Amino acid sequence: MNQRDLELLSAYLDGQLNSSESTRLESRLNSDPQLASVLTDLRATRSLLRKLPARRAPRNFILTRKMVGQNPPLPRAYPIFRFATALATLLFIFSFGLNSVGHLAASQAPVYGMGGGGSSAESAQPFSVAPAATEAPTEQAPSAALAPAPTQILTPEITNGAGIIDTPSAKAADSANGINPNQPLAQAEARSPAPLIPSVWQIILAVIAVASAILMVLIRQLSARHWK
Amino acid sequence: MNEQALITDAQGGNLDAFNTLVLHYQDSVFNTALRILGDEDQAADASQEAFISAFKSITSFRGGSFKGWLMRTVTNACYDELRRQKRRPTTPLEPDAGRDDGEEMDSPRWLADPNMTPAQQAEADEVEYAIQHCLNNLPLEFKTVVVMADIQGMDYAEVAIAVHVPLGTIKSRLARARLRLRECLQSFAELLPASYRLEDGIKVS
Repeated sequence: MNQRDLELLSAYLDGQLNSSESTRLESRLNSDPQLASVLTDLRATRSLLRKLPARRAPRNFILTRKMVGQNPPLPRAYPIFRFATALATLLFIFSFGLNSVGHLAASQAPVYGMGGGGSSAESAQPFSVAPAATEAPTEQAPSAALAPAPTQILTPEITNGAGIIDTPSAKAADSANGINPNQPLAQAEARSPAPLIPSVWQIILAVIAVASAILMVLIRQLSARHWK
Repeated sequence: MNEQALITDAQGGNLDAFNTLVLHYQDSVFNTALRILGDEDQAADASQEAFISAFKSITSFRGGSFKGWLMRTVTNACYDELRRQKRRPTTPLEPDAGRDDGEEMDSPRWLADPNMTPAQQAEADEVEYAIQHCLNNLPLEFKTVVVMADIQGMDYAEVAIAVHVPLGTIKSRLARARLRLRECLQSFAELLPASYRLEDGIKVS
């Protein structure tokens, strides 16, 4: 038997031959027992396959929206909150960066600009001591250096917060000791300059970012619940 | 069930409409995958993948036999599963893994038919095992065609759509698949019911 006959028999079994092909094959089947035997075998094989029990699906294969990547429709205002969150977060980070840069610039400024103007103790010390040393022999320094106590007059009207009068002799004494009365405040200001972005703005930005993010989560949850 | 209306709704993104189609076709899809893959878990995975893929590409369905179109996605999912198996072969832990040694085969629970006597059930199990064994030994392209035509009862045109080959090729593959199955089943002659016993010797030149 050849391949062509096998295909004819298989198609005949399924009723796929036209009437003339069927008639020709049937006459051959009547005269050729081997061909008829093959047809019987093929029919039995097909019958066996058709009797194979059909299994039920072990579970339902229904799809969920998550499986197919469908997301719940979000309100039209949602992008506004997303934009606000992103912008506030960026500005918040930017404000920190800007303040850090400003602080760095302020701390480095004396090195390149005022020289002995004295933001740091190391640079201020030689210049504050040297004038005192040179001026000491001239006029007020000796008295201030030798007897600073008598020059400090404690009177309620003109004393400062520490109860010390800023008299020329007192200043001179401070100078002689290498101390400038205004220097500690100036140094403090130089060490921690006022931030470029005030803290209150940073707090506002943080609040906006967090509040928008929370609103986004709530909107998503509500949309998903409503969608189900 | 108005299939065309459900398909149209599903093409518009209506998942509920598509799930109605899933419930209608899931047994056919699962059985096809099971006979091609020969493993229930893999067949379930392939069926799920096939339905997901079908929903995502349902807009490409342009009419004709929906079952044939759906079976194409099943065939593709089975081929993907077989490719995965080749890349990462696994050792089955099923008790019938050593079946070639003549060990007793456990009866799958889903086959249990309350109307069958234990003897009939055992016979059905044996027949099913023999057929599945012979199917597993067929080349994939033959197996796919014979599963759809003879086990699922699809006509040639539907099978041609599902396998995406011409009708003449379907006829040829089906004839050769039946012949090979017949030869294979002869080696299980003692397992088969008397009415299914096959005679010896078809020689095809």
